[in-house]
Amino acid sequence: MIKRSIPVAIAVAVGLLTFIGLLLNLPQLSRLLLTWASFLAAVALLVGVLNLFGVHANRLLKGNGYSGVLALSMAAVFVLAITDWRGITTDGVSTVFNWVQFPLEAALSSLLAFLLLFAGAQLLRRQRNIGGVLFLLTALLVLLSTALATSRFIPGRLAETFGAVREVITTIFVTAGMRGILLGVALGTITLGIRLLVGVERPYNK
Amino acid sequence: MSELVLTVGTIGVTVILLLVLTWLVRRGRLVMLRPLPAYTQLKDQAGLAVESGSQLHLTLGRAGLTSTATPTSVAALTVLDAVAKDGCANGTPPLATVGEGTLLPAAQASLLKAYNEAQYTSGFEPGAAQFIAADTDPFTYAGGVTSVIHQDNVSNSVAVGRFGSELALIMAAGERQQMNQIVGTDDPLALALGTAVSPNVLIGEELLASGAYLEGKPSQLASVQTQDILRILIALTLLGMALYQLFTA
Repeated sequence: MIKRSIPVAIAVAVGLLTFIGLLLNLPQLSRLLLTWASFLAAVALLVGVLNLFGVHANRLLKGNGYSGVLALSMAAVFVLAITDWRGITTDGVSTVFNWVQFPLEAALSSLLAFLLLFAGAQLLRRQRNIGGVLFLLTALLVLLSTALATSRFIPGRLAETFGAVREVITTIFVTAGMRGILLGVALGTITLGIRLLVGVERPYNK
Repeated sequence: MSELVLTVGTIGVTVILLLVLTWLVRRGRLVMLRPLPAYTQLKDQAGLAVESGSQLHLTLGRAGLTSTATPTSVAALTVLDAVAKDGCANGTPPLATVGEGTLLPAAQASLLKAYNEAQYTSGFEPGAAQFIAADTDPFTYAGGVTSVIHQDNVSNSVAVGRFGSELALIMAAGERQQMNQIVGTDDPLALALGTAVSPNVLIGEELLASGAYLEGKPSQLASVQTQDILRILIALTLLGMALYQLFTA
């Protein structure tokens, strides 16, 4: 019983202190709690990296080549960080990030447009209902109007009409929908937050 | 000062509503929850995994437990609790992946509890919950989750928590494997991407109501009712203000 009560008491106390700090604008208290949270998050990140290495080292032993590349890359970047720190190499880690990590992330990011096109086609194939058709039509309309609104090859009046259509879709329909979603999320966050604050919801106490 | 009054007032009203409705639910008041296909599908996932002899993959997004999106991650962990409980009871524990450090111990605790309840503690491995990438690298996270979907013996995929545009990559990987996918997030952009790929989408507050749908405790059911009452109040206020401006302009 005590073993279960202590984490709840700590969580509720820290939660209430954070809430009071934010509510009454007490920067010192907020800063202190934020420092603790940042420290815990940093430790959790370290644990996560060890978990990642452990999982892929195990897979490497079972003959998974991709996991081998990942584990070896992690070890190589770790060695580079040490050599950078000892002054043996200069900006080794930054170079790896600039030449490997960033281009790969950018490549994945640039795939998004193709994936969305593919997803739109899939949607129409799977959901042949009003919602699916509306989704695809709206996407096409926004894409076309964005392209044609700035095109030099169509008459100015037509370009203005396309611009107006896009404006109506984005400022009225999209904004209204997003606000509705965000309002729901805010209400859900408030109620779940209160349940966490009073210790009714205990994700930390399994 | 007015902001403080508004915040305290909102929280005060919410707390009172929560207390009263929890008390009423405990006394036997029936709460009818709107049927959501995504939760119905989620409850069938353990059976599907058993039939296909594979694991269910569940990824918890990139919001940690020390951020403003903590409630979203808590709701996602509730989904993991339910899926892990069903999966372990049927001998097909799920595989969880996370995109933030603080989610890893929480996911491992959730899985360990399910293993313990199924009296299968010896089968638990730390790799049952995998850290993929830090929250600052969304596309690295997506790439890692994609490789899990492609390489591991995974039949279906559930993505719940905070995501951004990287969700499209995760869902495209599931689509290529012809997986049954469930998505739940609070980010409007990710929701739009999710809707394009899967019919089983939990939109914002629906994900935050995961406790009510999957566990059904009185406080969780009361929470959903509180949200409904507050939503109606806010809608009426907005409508009233719009009408007032219309007629006084």
